[in-house]
Amino acid sequence: MSFTPKTGAFRGAINAVTLGTGDKAIVIGGQNVLPFYTFDAAIENAPKIGIEISDAAAQWDVPGLTELYAGCTTMAERAKKAETVPGADFIALNFESADPNGANRPTAECVADAKAVAEAVTMPIVVMGCKHLEKDAELFGAIAEALAGKNVLFMSAKNENYKTVGASVALASGQKVGAETADDINLAKQLNIQLKSLNVPAESIVMNIGTAAVGYGYEYVASTLDRIRDAALKQSDADLQMPIIAPVSTDTWSVKESSASEEDEPAWGNREERGIGMEISTAAANLTGGADAVIMRHPAAIATIKQFITELV
Amino acid sequence: MALKGLDIFKMSPKKNCKECGSPTCMAFCMKVAQGAVEIDKCPYFSDEAKAMLNEQTAPPMKTVTVGEHKLGGETVMFRHEKTLVSKNLYAVSVCTCMDEATVDAKLAAATAVDYERIGERMYVEFIQVANTQADPAVYAALVKKAAAVGRPLVLECWDVECAKAALAECGKDVILDGATPANWEAMNEVATKAGVTLGVWAENISDLYDTVKALEGKGNKNLVLDVTGKTAKETLANAVLVRRTAITDGDRTMGYPSIVNLAKLTKGDARLETAYASMFTEKYASIIVMSGMTYAQALPLYGLRQNIYTDPQKPMKVEAKLYPLNGADENAPVALTVDFALTYFLVSGEMERSNAPINLVISDASGMSVLTAWAAGKFSSSTIKKTFDELDLENKIKNRTLIIPGKVAVMKGEIQEKLPNWNVVVGPLEAVQLPKYLKDKEYEAAAAAAAAENAAKAATAATTEVKELSFEELLETKVPKIEIVDMGVKYKGYNPESKTFVTIGERIHCIAPSIRKAMDERDPAPILERAAAQIKAGATYLDVNIGPAEKDGPERMMWAVKLLQENFDNVPLALDTANMKAIEAGIKVYNRTNGKPIVNSADAGSRIGYIDLAAANDAICIALCSADGIAKDNEERMMHCDNMLERGLSLGMQSDDLWFDPLFLVVKGMQDKQMDVLEAIKMFSDKGLKSTGGLSNNSNGAPKEVRPIMDATLVAMCMMQGLTSAIVNPNDRRLMETIKSCDIFKNHVLYSDSYLDL
Repeated sequence: MSFTPKTGAFRGAINAVTLGTGDKAIVIGGQNVLPFYTFDAAIENAPKIGIEISDAAAQWDVPGLTELYAGCTTMAERAKKAETVPGADFIALNFESADPNGANRPTAECVADAKAVAEAVTMPIVVMGCKHLEKDAELFGAIAEALAGKNVLFMSAKNENYKTVGASVALASGQKVGAETADDINLAKQLNIQLKSLNVPAESIVMNIGTAAVGYGYEYVASTLDRIRDAALKQSDADLQMPIIAPVSTDTWSVKESSASEEDEPAWGNREERGIGMEISTAAANLTGGADAVIMRHPAAIATIKQFITELV
Repeated sequence: MALKGLDIFKMSPKKNCKECGSPTCMAFCMKVAQGAVEIDKCPYFSDEAKAMLNEQTAPPMKTVTVGEHKLGGETVMFRHEKTLVSKNLYAVSVCTCMDEATVDAKLAAATAVDYERIGERMYVEFIQVANTQADPAVYAALVKKAAAVGRPLVLECWDVECAKAALAECGKDVILDGATPANWEAMNEVATKAGVTLGVWAENISDLYDTVKALEGKGNKNLVLDVTGKTAKETLANAVLVRRTAITDGDRTMGYPSIVNLAKLTKGDARLETAYASMFTEKYASIIVMSGMTYAQALPLYGLRQNIYTDPQKPMKVEAKLYPLNGADENAPVALTVDFALTYFLVSGEMERSNAPINLVISDASGMSVLTAWAAGKFSSSTIKKTFDELDLENKIKNRTLIIPGKVAVMKGEIQEKLPNWNVVVGPLEAVQLPKYLKDKEYEAAAAAAAAENAAKAATAATTEVKELSFEELLETKVPKIEIVDMGVKYKGYNPESKTFVTIGERIHCIAPSIRKAMDERDPAPILERAAAQIKAGATYLDVNIGPAEKDGPERMMWAVKLLQENFDNVPLALDTANMKAIEAGIKVYNRTNGKPIVNSADAGSRIGYIDLAAANDAICIALCSADGIAKDNEERMMHCDNMLERGLSLGMQSDDLWFDPLFLVVKGMQDKQMDVLEAIKMFSDKGLKSTGGLSNNSNGAPKEVRPIMDATLVAMCMMQGLTSAIVNPNDRRLMETIKSCDIFKNHVLYSDSYLDL
């Protein structure tokens, strides 16, 4: 008698969320199995890759990135270039310079950048904030209004500012909202409940459950992903069935492995290749755990992860 | 299913002869159930019992040992369910299809990656040697060359003659990855004869299963499964299904470690290999075969592996030592923090960002974060002093500025006293503030002030010599006279013989700033106020936490004990501090009218000595069933319980005087472990033991209005399981009413309509 392993889909499924409009619109989520478990059931929508454009991108100094964006001076020019990178499915605009504790770029400037990008590209857009609660709330509201109808995802609403962000982004402008928590499954669930109680539709919510570069406490991310998917699929917990987006690049390019110079760490070899390795490994680990979309920076890392996803789905 | 320790105990000889090295048969059986010792260590188990137990106690997945490496032995699918035990190992592949120069280069590169990260050596553990031709001499020559590298080998070879020739050229630390549905019988003989682990591969998972069954039929269970398929997708399916069949479905035919050969799947694309290796680290490879290993691959992959294979209940620690950052030399200032890995990464990362030379000193704190370690007495002026002495920092560093974490500003005075030659400065509260703090040298003014103060102190101190005082002398000279204040409440009295539930009021605790201040200043009012409220609410005992109290612990405790007992009709007390001398002093002045003092608390690890302290002073002792970290399951809890019980009894204690604490866990974070705690209480109760614990820990972080409901529900469930006491907030009316009601149902108190008012 021949051996037949037990396989099969779960009763619960991840919500399918559409980002962007037109031909380039993407859908993330939708599956009722663990990531890449095609032997249990077909994967509804392959995970997607976002390419990060920052308003501080002028500081990116590895050759692969300086060459890619050579001659670009504005976010819109960079976004146009980014759109041509093979493997990229959406553009992630990082307004890190808006931080009042840093360069404190005025909101109006950021809005103008976002508008210029939206006019220059057709890919879906995700907007990342500066991690300052009040400034992000203001920035997201203004950009959401300016990009009305573009079906943009805003990252992120947190426990402290979800009311403002949820109301302005999702309710007033009909955009998608990211719910951000830090490696805490109970808080992740609570934040989704709170957003839903504001009347934000479940299908307008995407989760960022916390990030870390591999080697830097990534076990918390890994176990949170495992537990969230377990609750969403096995227990059919509707408050955790939102798809997950993982901003990978911001963490992986700032750790020592990616930033230490070749003079400081001669044994480690080429710095750019190390950065690519950290980005690939962290993205692959997130996708294996449950991320439905990753945000990355380096074109070589994006190409590899694209191949990884294509071969597995 | 694996057997429980108690089931094994039933079959044990129950002689307590100690020949196995364990103190009792029970302790031995607990260890056997955990897999910590082999049943064969006991000479008196009957052969039938042994054979049965060996089969039944075997984990769902075998542990295969190759050289010094352990593979497999996993018991769960996901790390949060318990922990993953055997980290995946890496092999670099060479092949008979390569020319000599390529092989030499690969072997040299494979050993070039070798470094340490958080106490773990990171290197390529195996060399894999693939055979693609039929000449035994050719393969043997390549294997000989690979063996010379000195690492264990994986021989991927389906040709029986080639395998034989190869095994003659290498040692026994080998996996012969060569059995297939076609050759398994012959290959099995080769492997068994050579005494090496046999790898099994098949075209599909069904054939793999049948081949393993056939090999097991021949008596070979020293196997690994090569789950590599034609594509990465198929390989993932194989790896998951094999593991799931063994662990979830309990079919041990698939219960073996696995090999994933990426060199075959990625055709040498190093980046793609990094991506897949990351996936197979999380999803079930025991050995990952790579076509090469560079630092650009190793740094992320070994970092990820170290994270994934961290025991979720044992924090990751970094080595306690001096870390000079940004080119710091002996003239750079010193900054101090704990050895919790995340704290270290966060703090050192921010410090590196400042570009300012700084000597980061990591102090041993059992892998706890700053505040947790401080509260547990693991990060105190004594432990810091110990670190400074061991590292000889006074001689190694010339700069005298010592920056301590802002969160333990309260320790500044004590540290200054223990390290008089340093200028102690309180640093920022959060790590993100460090770059600016260090860049702008914000510590300089405070350091100068500390230096001036130290100089002044040194000038006066030269004349006064400190002599250690006896308890009596301390009581005479250092303990203020107790004033009796009428707080309008009377302690209800307690009969230690009664079966009613014992509540230990937790409100007098130094983690509360007002109490900390009152203790420091010997100000009775805030302490009496909290004591009165708790007594009024019906607390049986009061817990008295005086903080780590390194400096003046004995006089502090004596004062607190006298203050509370003299004001409140000799209310019984639990003495709670990391300073053992202080507990001893407190007991010296303790009045036993309403019951013995409680020592809070011992554990089975570094605090085991508290049992001795309790025994020597005829006190009750709270015995935490853990050893420096939460017990990973009830087998471990009960092992700690037995060890502590045995110690107490051997010191002449009554078993009633040890109150076992299962360690209540917070629902937000450890929801899936709550039933374990309840089960542990039942196990204490079944042994006739008393129990207690910090019950309200379960609802930590939950909203204020929810906590009483959670606490009350849990206490009812616990009392049903046989809990005899708890450390609680007696001012929580819902909780206290629940406890009183449970005592009615348990027939500990005779019912009357106004039982709630009593």
